[in-house]
Amino acid sequence: MRVVSDPRGYWADLTGAERAVVAFIVGFAALLVVGLLTGALAPTYFLYLVGIAGMYSLLSFGLNSQWGFTGLINFSVAAFFGIGAYGTALMSASSSPIAGGFVPVVGLLVALVVAALLALAIGIPTLRLRADYLAIASLGLAEVVRLVVLNERQWTNGSAGVRGIPQFFEGWPVLATLPQTMPGLVVRPLPGTEIVLETPFWSALLNVVVVLGFVGGSYAILRRAHRSPWGRVLRTIRSDEDLARALGKNTYGFKMQSFVLGSLIMALAGVFYAHLNLFVSPGDLDPVTTFYVWVAVILGGSGSNRGALFGGFVIVAIREGTRFLSGISSFVVDLGVVALEFDLSWLTSNVAPLRLLLIGALIVLLMRYRPQGVLPPQRELIWPSVVDRAPGTLDSGVRDVQAGETDE
Amino acid sequence: MVFDYLASGLVFSSIIVLGSIGLSLIYSIADFANFAHGDTMTVGAYAAFVTFGAVGGLGGAVLGLPYGFFVALLAGIAVAAVVAIVTEKVVYEGMNAGSIELLITSIGIAFIYRAIIQIGFGADFTRYQIQSLRPIEALLPYGVRVTVHDVAIVASAAVLVGGLHVLLQYTDLGRKMRAMADNPDLARISGIRTDRIKLWTWILGAGLAGSGGVFLGLYNQLSPRMGFNLLLLIFAAVILGGIGSVYGAMLGGFLIGMINQLTPVLSDIRLLTDMGALLPLVPDSFGITIGIEYANAIAFVIMVAVLLVRPNGIAGEAV
Repeated sequence: MRVVSDPRGYWADLTGAERAVVAFIVGFAALLVVGLLTGALAPTYFLYLVGIAGMYSLLSFGLNSQWGFTGLINFSVAAFFGIGAYGTALMSASSSPIAGGFVPVVGLLVALVVAALLALAIGIPTLRLRADYLAIASLGLAEVVRLVVLNERQWTNGSAGVRGIPQFFEGWPVLATLPQTMPGLVVRPLPGTEIVLETPFWSALLNVVVVLGFVGGSYAILRRAHRSPWGRVLRTIRSDEDLARALGKNTYGFKMQSFVLGSLIMALAGVFYAHLNLFVSPGDLDPVTTFYVWVAVILGGSGSNRGALFGGFVIVAIREGTRFLSGISSFVVDLGVVALEFDLSWLTSNVAPLRLLLIGALIVLLMRYRPQGVLPPQRELIWPSVVDRAPGTLDSGVRDVQAGETDE
Repeated sequence: MVFDYLASGLVFSSIIVLGSIGLSLIYSIADFANFAHGDTMTVGAYAAFVTFGAVGGLGGAVLGLPYGFFVALLAGIAVAAVVAIVTEKVVYEGMNAGSIELLITSIGIAFIYRAIIQIGFGADFTRYQIQSLRPIEALLPYGVRVTVHDVAIVASAAVLVGGLHVLLQYTDLGRKMRAMADNPDLARISGIRTDRIKLWTWILGAGLAGSGGVFLGLYNQLSPRMGFNLLLLIFAAVILGGIGSVYGAMLGGFLIGMINQLTPVLSDIRLLTDMGALLPLVPDSFGITIGIEYANAIAFVIMVAVLLVRPNGIAGEAV
């Protein structure tokens, strides 16, 4: 809207951090387009990346509506993600040890119901606790969930995981067979390159449609909720729970609502993952997933939905980008006179610890130097119409705050 | 059988106690839940691993352990303490942040420790190059299978914990630490240099964690995840005992270690397994067998139950 009609004004209104983010996104998108056009990046893999990024964004939305809105430290993101994935997998997969064979939409509903029940089961005892106790307890309870999934073979197939999960649109009238019926396309974007778009591409495209639907829906709901009176209570609880209670709010009830809402969105990400990957295993419930999502939310800016979206994409860039490092075994610096060769194979031969190091360093650096994140939610909390209706001579207040102060 | 579980419970408790005292000290004096504490144990274990590789065959042996192992133990304690001090100086000290921000930061620190260890030593399991021993013959008739190494772990832990007790009760530093744990502001206006006490807390807490890591490596084996896997048990112990109370942490660590090793007893109780047979309308096979794979889960459930009933733990003041 405004970007199109008044790009100059839009740019002038952005804060420094927002400009950096916009520049980063434009640059990154350009890089991807070049990759696509030259054939360096397969279109199907590109769509897979978009799907994964959408999934992380959903997880970040979920955590953001717990931690960013209400200040609940939830270290059981991986558990809710796993419940979503296992919920739909066990209902729809052909190898499911309990139900199996239902259409994925049934799986989606079951996963959401189970996730809501689990959120209540974790929330009822722990949401009354002090924040740091909630952190410890939720991490412990997530571990209990992981152990149950790992060990109750008769329900979950144990460490073997669940295979034979159908695509999300299985059983739908047209969409189920769309990828097969779509014609194969050959695209020649540049002379000499040729990209073939066949069934895998179309089914990956359908997955992206699913995740974009989930992300868009969640974003719209959360954006509305965050600015609503309900969201205002949550923010009050976050900054001063005693104050909220003194104002007569049932803080426990609000925290529970926020916790369940966030958990449902995380489970939604799990549902998408199960139908994207077509295989789930207890490894998907590993606590490190939880901390990836934490990094995404802190990086984006706690409380900011745009930030959570951005953080989700950055996490995918880190996760998938480190994959390419494994190909690099040495690094040569040519100084003209002498060429220095650095042996990097000790570092890049195994990217798992490198990724862990990156995540750890990112958490520490963010908390140390920019705890409010890259895109703090200063603008999101205000209805845009209020800003536009404000007198033009306003030289202190909202617009100033946008540029300078970063407090919520 | 029960005697055997109790004996291994005692050994495991010693390790948990060493971890939980440090966590409790740091929790009360630095005022945040340090999620890097488990990985500090791993740091100690690997430092001892390297040292033992260098000085391995030194001298004679005590309780089945060469002298070199005790040198390695001291090295593990020292390195864990130094790493903690460096972290405190570089990261935590300059942060003007609340306990939640520090908590999140400590997770990053934990990942950094673990990643560096994994880059250096790989993700696989390793062991100290010490011959594993057969169980003590004299105890076998009672069904107790413990090695001399296990005795060494319990004895060393007892010495360390006893030393800490003396330090806390009879030295100036210990009195200041207790004062600060009790009320930091009051301690400061009483002229205690709280910054210095905080540093000493890090040294003591991380040192004890390092020793716990070394013993954990001797008891099981070493892996980059070893400390993190123990972290939640240690939290359970600290919360059960009461955060801020060193003696509570000892008691909590003892109880959690015991409960953890006594879990096999539970699998003999058929109630949960055969829930289906007892309830109408439920298939006969319905139910969860509580086997040893749920040993950790039981500790967490106990922890949540304690938080609900008595958030300040056994030794903490009642609310």
